[in-house]
Amino acid sequence: MGRRALSALAAAVAILALAVGLAACGSGGGGEGGTVKLEGEPSGNVTISNWPLYIDPGKNGTVKEFEKASGIGVKYIEDVNDNAEFFGKMQPLLEQGESGGRSLFVVTDWMAKKMDDLGYLQSLDKSAIPNVEQNLVPSLQHPGFDPNRDFSVPWQSGMGGLIVRTDLAPEVHSICDLFDPKYKGKVDFLSELRETVPLVMTCEGTNPEEASEEDWMKAIEKVKGAVGSGQIRRFTGNDYARDLTSGDAVAAIGWSGDAVQLQADNPNIEFRMPEQGCSLWSDNMVIPVGAPNPTAAEAWMNYVYVPQHQAKIAEYVNYVTPVEGVKRIFEKSEPELAESDLIFPSAEFTKNCFTQAQLNEQEEQPVTRAWNAVLNG
Amino acid sequence: MAERRRIVPYFLLGPGTIWLLLFFVVPLFYMGYLSLESGIVGSLSFSWNWGNYSDALSLYDTQFARSFLYSGVATLICLLVAYPLAYTIAFRAGRWRNALLFAVVAPFFTTYLIRTLAWETILSDQSPVVGALRFLGLVPENGHVLATGGAVIAGLVYNFLPFMILPIYASLEQIDERLIEAAKDLYASSRAAFVRVTLPLSAPGIVAGTLLTFIPATGDYVNAQFLGSAGNQMIGNVIQSLYKSQLDYPAAAALSFVLMALIMVVVLIYIRFAGSEALMGEETL
Amino acid sequence: MKGTVRWLREHAVNIVAGLVVVYMLIPIAVILVFSFNDPAGKYNFTWVGFTLSHWGNAFGIPELNSALLTSLKLALLATLISTAIGTLMAIALVRHQFHGRRAANLLIVVPMATPEIVMGASLLSFFIILGAPGLGFQTLLIAHVMFCISFVVVVVRSRLIGFDRNLEEAAQDLGASALDTFRLVTLPLIAPGIFGGALLAFALSIDDFVISNFNSGTTVTFPLYIYGAAQRGIPVEVNVVAMILFGVTVLAMGATVWQQRRAEKAASVRPEQEAAPPVAIGAAEAA
Repeated sequence: MGRRALSALAAAVAILALAVGLAACGSGGGGEGGTVKLEGEPSGNVTISNWPLYIDPGKNGTVKEFEKASGIGVKYIEDVNDNAEFFGKMQPLLEQGESGGRSLFVVTDWMAKKMDDLGYLQSLDKSAIPNVEQNLVPSLQHPGFDPNRDFSVPWQSGMGGLIVRTDLAPEVHSICDLFDPKYKGKVDFLSELRETVPLVMTCEGTNPEEASEEDWMKAIEKVKGAVGSGQIRRFTGNDYARDLTSGDAVAAIGWSGDAVQLQADNPNIEFRMPEQGCSLWSDNMVIPVGAPNPTAAEAWMNYVYVPQHQAKIAEYVNYVTPVEGVKRIFEKSEPELAESDLIFPSAEFTKNCFTQAQLNEQEEQPVTRAWNAVLNG
Repeated sequence: MAERRRIVPYFLLGPGTIWLLLFFVVPLFYMGYLSLESGIVGSLSFSWNWGNYSDALSLYDTQFARSFLYSGVATLICLLVAYPLAYTIAFRAGRWRNALLFAVVAPFFTTYLIRTLAWETILSDQSPVVGALRFLGLVPENGHVLATGGAVIAGLVYNFLPFMILPIYASLEQIDERLIEAAKDLYASSRAAFVRVTLPLSAPGIVAGTLLTFIPATGDYVNAQFLGSAGNQMIGNVIQSLYKSQLDYPAAAALSFVLMALIMVVVLIYIRFAGSEALMGEETL
Repeated sequence: MKGTVRWLREHAVNIVAGLVVVYMLIPIAVILVFSFNDPAGKYNFTWVGFTLSHWGNAFGIPELNSALLTSLKLALLATLISTAIGTLMAIALVRHQFHGRRAANLLIVVPMATPEIVMGASLLSFFIILGAPGLGFQTLLIAHVMFCISFVVVVVRSRLIGFDRNLEEAAQDLGASALDTFRLVTLPLIAPGIFGGALLAFALSIDDFVISNFNSGTTVTFPLYIYGAAQRGIPVEVNVVAMILFGVTVLAMGATVWQQRRAEKAASVRPEQEAAPPVAIGAAEAA
């Protein structure tokens, strides 16, 4: 071992020590949630994190209107691309009781529950959100994961089901049809575990709301088989939209809001309610621990629950709106949208649908791992 | 005077070295620490978990092999496609030289993702391009190009072509044309002059281009994500999913190190084969 | 017939080169075409109709604009810093002998050999440990400078290696100090190399996706904006902005070429020659 090697080794040890030392500094106390403390009239600035393209944009968009009406400065960021990814990004901050400057963000049901279980979210002070109390549609008032809506307020809701090229695959009416060899190589599945696998479960006759870990694994196996046989063209986020448009895929598991958009340019594409039912989910506004200016955040929640304001958002986003009264507004201004089952689903339409299935702590890792093994081939 | 000479290089190197040490080397050490932990985000604990490494090799051997295959093929294709263009720019372009170079680099300014998504449109089943390929028999009648390994490789080739063209061009440009003339004066044919004079002199460029293409291509995941299907995912996709969806940082960290190590092995073999001066630039003047 | 074959063979290389250039520009053409599309919905996948409205509204989406501005700011700063640092390093590596040269070389090369995903993820772990001030523009800047340095060094170094020392010696023989020589002789002559390195750094930074994806916090760069938008339906304005970026780059480069041609014409007192040695030797002899 020459001198050079020795000094290299010494340098390496020093750096390792530095790294470990820094690592030790990293731990912090966890958050315990707590309740939002309102402070007088809403004012100042607020930072909101949301999914991309989930709000009407531009100079006359809801964000600008809110700023004008309330005098609150809004920094609206679209950096939530995936629940797990967002969790990974936020967890170290939330663990320390910080939110990275965000006063409010929007995550799907299961992630909201997970975060609340970990003490990362604050309970809402309902006195500042009377519009929510008044206008929240009944079907979303007492969801399983947050029965009293203590920490979450729905932003938009949606359905996961079948999206079909009616000219190329008119007979697809259930998830099981997607496994028909007739459509080999022309079917897209969503890469989202909690959308695809419960739907596949319904094909086997299992109720996703009561599924055991074994049920999840069985459904994953079924999907794995379909990958191996070439039945599934690919797993996608939103890009099934591209495949359906070009005809590369004739049917896909997809989201109701996308179907409305796709139909605008392509009348042959339509959302089909699967025979065994669809998955119902919502994306929820939550206030994290360490949120600066929670008063303004609640003011935002209250603002978007006014039917006129919500109507603007609903018109752009085309998902299921959680606010009562928007349908009446659309009946006058946008009659086709008012008729749409996809934006105002009747109880009849969603009679077989199930709310998004939950995975508890023990199940989460093995199931996620098995699913990712299928996705990554 | 002599002492000043001696410390000058250290001053020149200082800022860069510190930056790289602090923001490249140290994070790697931390990632090493992470790779020996177990659990996922929210419940990580250090436990000398060498199992992460053995898992990395055993669970993902298919993806590793696939990654090296795709990037190897892509690099080879890049080389065959880039060389003529680099040659033309260096020797035949004259006044158009800079314009051509810009044509090579400019697509970079339209963002990696958009270029890859454009390929999704170009390679879709109904597109004229795929129709032509079917006509030429390169694609079976009912076959598709997207969602196959071929599409992923095509994407890799396209996105890394500039990395191959520029170094080859740089070394071709420095060749003294009089050497080629001399060879011809000595009765060498065009082809012989190329093979015996130009090609060896451009070797440093070829080596650099090959490495600059092969190495990032092996760790790429964007092309596989958008142009491939479940059976075409590369090791980069696995690492990304471990970090982002599964939040299994220890496994992801271990996998990253294994990837780096394997790439290093391939590179070292290649350099031994190709000659190390080409890469390290050992010459001083 | 034979003439055609011969012509083909002679120009084969040029033809292939031409095809390659066309190949490189095909996706650009697709992006351009779809920037004129007029979809009713959010998706821009099928051709619906021609419209200039999106070009008129190119900067009408505030999130896109701020992402673009962020990317430009970031790329500019990262280029300045990394070019400065990288040039100094290249000079040290090529011109000086010192202990640890091998190690320094290794330090430069290894980042280029590391997959971006590894660099991005390890930096993320590092920044999280450090805690404050948290992920954001500064962490992005640090990351971008980090991966640009190596490329700048390589480009400048290759220019330095091909550099004729005789010119410097000639200048010093003519009485210039070391610093003056550097300033008036070396620097201008390696300027194209530095410029090339800076250009590469800028391109890498503005196009970077993987490392930014891991280290951006709430900051959204242009590529990150597109990635997010790709989940929902990329607005046509994105195509428009991409084309504008492309167009501006082409114009800028065109301007440089034109500038160079003018400079060459102005300095065309000497006969066409690429190698300067005869001049230097002549000067040295005269001295």
